[in-house]
Amino acid sequence: MAGAGGAALWLGGCGGSSNSAKPVAGNEWKQFAGTTLNFISENTAPTSAIAANLAPFKQLTGIDIKITQLELTALVQKVALDFASGQGAYQIVYADPYQILAPYHEALVDLNTMMRDPNLPKLEDEADFIPVQLDAAGRFVDKDKVYALPYDAPTMIWQYRKDLFAKYGDRMKQDLGFDPTPSDNSTWEEFYKTSQWFLKNAKQDVPYGHGHQAKQHDSLMNDFSNVLWAYGGDYFKDGGTVGRFGSMDPGEPVLDSAEAVQAADVYRRLVSIAHPGSLGWDWDGLGAAFGAGQMAMAVNWHEFASGNETGKLKGKVGYARLPRGPKRSASMYGGTGLGINATASEREQKAAWLFVNWATSKKTQLAGLKSKVGGGTPTRDSVYKLPEVEKAKKPPSKMPNILTADAVFEAWKPENIGLRPKIAAWNECDTAIFTQLSKMLAGQQAPESCMRNTKDGFVKAIDNAASLKNA
Amino acid sequence: MKGGRIGNRVLIAVVMLWTLVPLLWMLLSSLKPTSDLASTTPKLAFTPTLEHYQALFSGGNHVGGYIVNSLVAAGVSTLIAVGLGTVAGYGLARSSFRGKDHVAFWIISTRMAPIAAAVLPLFVIFRATHLLGTTTGLVVAYLSFNLPFAIWLMNAFFADLPPALEEAAMIDGATRWTAFRRIALPLVLPGVATTAILCLVFSWNDYAFASTFSGPDSQTLPIAASQLVTQTNIDWGQLTAIGTIVVAPMIVVGLVVRRWLVTGLTLGAVTGE
Amino acid sequence: MAAGTVERSSSTARTRTRRFPALSFEGRMLAPALILLAALSLFPFVYIVIMSLSRVGLIGGIDLHWAGLHNWSKLFSDSSVGAAWVRSVVYFVLTVGLEMVLGIGIALLVHGMVWGKNLVISLVLMPMFMAPVIVGLLGRFLTDSTYGLYAWVLRETHVFSGDILGGTKSAFVAVTLMDVWEWTPLIALIVLAGLSSLPKPVLEAARVDGASYWQRLRYIVMPMIMGVVIVALLVRSMDAIRYFDIIYNTTNGGPADATKVVPIRLYETAFRFFDLGYAAAIGLSMLAVSILIANLFMRTLKRRGLAK
Repeated sequence: MAGAGGAALWLGGCGGSSNSAKPVAGNEWKQFAGTTLNFISENTAPTSAIAANLAPFKQLTGIDIKITQLELTALVQKVALDFASGQGAYQIVYADPYQILAPYHEALVDLNTMMRDPNLPKLEDEADFIPVQLDAAGRFVDKDKVYALPYDAPTMIWQYRKDLFAKYGDRMKQDLGFDPTPSDNSTWEEFYKTSQWFLKNAKQDVPYGHGHQAKQHDSLMNDFSNVLWAYGGDYFKDGGTVGRFGSMDPGEPVLDSAEAVQAADVYRRLVSIAHPGSLGWDWDGLGAAFGAGQMAMAVNWHEFASGNETGKLKGKVGYARLPRGPKRSASMYGGTGLGINATASEREQKAAWLFVNWATSKKTQLAGLKSKVGGGTPTRDSVYKLPEVEKAKKPPSKMPNILTADAVFEAWKPENIGLRPKIAAWNECDTAIFTQLSKMLAGQQAPESCMRNTKDGFVKAIDNAASLKNA
Repeated sequence: MKGGRIGNRVLIAVVMLWTLVPLLWMLLSSLKPTSDLASTTPKLAFTPTLEHYQALFSGGNHVGGYIVNSLVAAGVSTLIAVGLGTVAGYGLARSSFRGKDHVAFWIISTRMAPIAAAVLPLFVIFRATHLLGTTTGLVVAYLSFNLPFAIWLMNAFFADLPPALEEAAMIDGATRWTAFRRIALPLVLPGVATTAILCLVFSWNDYAFASTFSGPDSQTLPIAASQLVTQTNIDWGQLTAIGTIVVAPMIVVGLVVRRWLVTGLTLGAVTGE
Repeated sequence: MAAGTVERSSSTARTRTRRFPALSFEGRMLAPALILLAALSLFPFVYIVIMSLSRVGLIGGIDLHWAGLHNWSKLFSDSSVGAAWVRSVVYFVLTVGLEMVLGIGIALLVHGMVWGKNLVISLVLMPMFMAPVIVGLLGRFLTDSTYGLYAWVLRETHVFSGDILGGTKSAFVAVTLMDVWEWTPLIALIVLAGLSSLPKPVLEAARVDGASYWQRLRYIVMPMIMGVVIVALLVRSMDAIRYFDIIYNTTNGGPADATKVVPIRLYETAFRFFDLGYAAAIGLSMLAVSILIANLFMRTLKRRGLAK
C-alpha cells in the first residue's frame, strides 16, 4: 500500500517532465507498484530463500510475487504448456538452459532490450556474472542475445568425510600406495580404490565407500557425464561450444568413441562397488544417504553442503573438485538463469525485469547465502570476494555453501567445467542416455552397445526435433 | 471348524497389518520431529510435534489456498456430474430405443480414454475458451471422467428398480417427472450417495489433469504434495503431513457413507441374478 | 462435432415422439448430460485423430501440419513402444489378477465374520480413498533405502538388501504391490456388496445338506456372485489401463525401463518430448485396447444376462 502511495506521489510531482527530469534513483523501481507477477521455479535454494522473505522486493517495487515451486520435470512441462497457451501466466521463468532455454528460447525475452531501456532500472555490472555462467545459462547460439541472467549455479563436486579420511588416511596411504586425500591430482582410478578400501576396512564407521545418483533419471546423465569428459569422451565433436553457447545443428554425436565406451566401462565399475541404493537414487536420495552417514564419499551438487552442514555431519565434510581421468577433470555445471516470458504482456514483461534484476543482484545473492532455508549459490564474482563471505569459507560457517567455494571456483574454470549439450532435442536425448545407461547398470548391455544405442537415440531425437521444428 | 476360525483370525490380522501399516506410518511420520525422521533405524518412540503441519500452513507454499481449490474443483464437478448423471441415468434406464446398447457403451467408453490422450485436446479447448489455469477448467476436466461414470452407475441403479411403482403413481395422476422425483429417486438414494462419493474421491485425488491445467491460482492438494519433492531433499515430514491432509477427509467421508456404499452397490449393477 | 450429435439425438427424440409419444420424456432426461458429454468427448476425439495425422508445433499456440501416416507408421515400427506394451500387459494381468483374487478372498473372509465386522470393513477400505500420487510418494518413503520402514524390515530380516526401487525386478514388484495395496479394497467392497445380497436360505440349506465350506463356495457362492465379480473386474480394468500416478511418482519408468508401461511412455512423449502428434497416435492405440477389453467384459456380462 505504501508502495502504491509513493508511486502516485512521484507521478504527481514529476508531471509531464518525467523523461528529462530523471527521478531520484529508486523511483523507477516503483513504476509497476500494485502489479502481481507469477514466478515459476524449480524448488531450488535461492528460490526458497526469496520465498521466505519477499518483503524487501515488495518494499522496493510495490510488486507482489507469487511463487510456484516445482520439481524440474514438472517445471519444464508447466513452462512449455504455458508457452503453448500463449497466455503468459508465469511471467518470470526459471529457464533451465537445456530443457527450457534451448528448445523454447523463442518464447523468452531478449533481456538486452530491458537492459537498454532507459526507463527501467539498470542492471548492476553485467560483467560481474561469472562469464562462463552467463554464456551457459543465459545465451543460446546468438551471442548478441541474453535470454536469462544466471540465478543459481549448482555444480557437481566431490564431497567426502574429512573425519574418516583423517582417521584412516595413513593406513590407506600405506595399503594403497598413494595419498587418498582428494586433491587436484586425484584420479577416478584412485577414487575407485579408495572407495573399495573403505568398503573392506571401515565397516564399523561407514557401510560403503561411495554412492551414485544412478536412478533412471536426469541425475544419471549428470553423474555419468563427469566421467565421460574426464576420459576424453564427449557428446558432440565440438562439445565445448555446443555446451557453452548451444547449437541449432550440433552435427553427429560422437558418443560411440573409444573414449566414451571406456568411460562407460569405468562408470559401470564405479557403480558396481557403490552403495546398492545408488541405482534407485537421484540427487535427493544420494544427498540424504550421505547425510545419514551411509558412505565415505559422494559426487553431488555443491548445494547439498547446506544440508550436510546443518545435519549430523556438521563440520565433518570436505569438498573438492572432481577427480581427473586421462584427459581432464570435469565437473558438471547445472546452473540456471531467470528469464522473462515473451508471451506475457509488455507491461508485465517490464515489471518482471525488475524482479529478474533484483533477484540476481549482489545484495539479494548475499541475503540468499545467509538465509536459513536457502543456502544460495551466488553467480556474481564480487559476492564471493566480499570480506564476510571470504571469512565464511572456514568452518564453522554461517554460509555453509561457501565452504565449497574453492572447489566450485576450480570447477568453473573453462578447462574444468562440464557443460552438457544445449540443443533443442535435449529432453529426448537426455532420456535416451539415462535410459541406456540404466540398462547397462542393470546388466542388460555392455558398455559398447550402451554407447552405440545412446548415439542412435541421439540421432533419432535430433531428427525428430528437426522435423517438429519444421512443422 | 475351530481351527478354521483361528486361521481366519490370523488371516484377518495379516490383512489388517498389510492395509494399515503404511497409513499408520504416514500418520506417525507426520508427527515426528525432523531429527527422528532422519534416523536410519525406524523410531517408534518420539515426542510428537505439529511442526510439519505448521510449516505447510506458513511460508511460500501455503496449502490453505490449495485446499480451497481442491474442495471447489472436486465438489462442484461432483455436484454437476451426479445431478446430470442421475437424471440421464434414469432416462437411459427407462428408455428402449434401437442402438441403446451402443449409446450406453459410448458413454462408458469415454471414461476409458488414456489420461494423457484426454489431456491434449482438452488443453486446446481450454486455451480457446480461456479456461486454462482456472478452477472452472478443472471442474470441466473432472466432468470428462465423472459424468460418464455417474450416468453409467445411476443407470444401473434405476434399471434395477421395477417400473411398476412409478406406473402406479402415474395412474394416480402423477407426471413422469413427479414419478421420478417422488418415487424412483428416494429409492435409489444409497446409489446416489455411492456415485457422489466415488466421483468426489476420483476428482479430489486427481493429479494428471491438475498438473496440466491448473495455473498459479488453481493448484490442488495432490499438486502441492508433489511439490514437496525439492531439489535438495524430499521433506518426508511435510510430505507425510500433506498426505494425511489429503487422505483424511476422503476416509472420513468414505466411512460415514460406508453402509450406503455397500447397499448402494448391492442395489446397482451388481445384484447378481 | 458436438452440433452433429445434438441434431442426431434430437432427431431420434422426434421419431420416438411420433412412434411412442411417452418416450420423449426419457429423451429430455438424457439430452443435457449427453450433449455435455459429447462436447467433452467427441470433439476431443476427432481432434486427437487429426493430431495423430499431424506434426504439432508448440510455441505460441498449438498448430497442426499434415503429416499423413507418419506417426502411425512410426508407432508400428517403434520397438520401445512394443516393449512398453508387453510390460503393460504383464503389469495389468498381475495387478488386476492379484486384486481380484485378494479382493474376493478378503470379501469372503470378512463376510464370514460375526464380531467386529463393520469395524474391519471400514479399516480395510481405507487405501482406496487415497490419492494415487500420495500412494506413490508414500511407497517411495517406505522403500527408501536410507529411511524406509519396509526397506529396513527387509534388510534386517535378510530378505532383500538392495535398493527396492533400484532393481529391475524388485521395482516392478514394488509398484505392482503399491497398486494392489490401493485397489484391492475396491474389489473387496464390490464383492462384499454382492455377497450380502445372497439369499440366506439357499446357503442354510446347503449347510444342512452337509456340504463343506469349499463345496458351498465352489458350487453355490461363486456362481451366484459371478456377475458381481465381472462388474468389479470391469470397473477396475477401466482404470488399471489409464492410471500411471503411482509409477510416475516412484520410478517414472526405470530402472532400465523395467516399469515403463504405455501410459508412462505416452506421458513422456507428450509432456517431456512434446511430440504431440506421436503422443496422439500412442493414446489412440491405448484407447482402442481399452475399448476392446471393455467390449469383451460387456459381452460376457450380456451372455450371462446380467447387463442392464
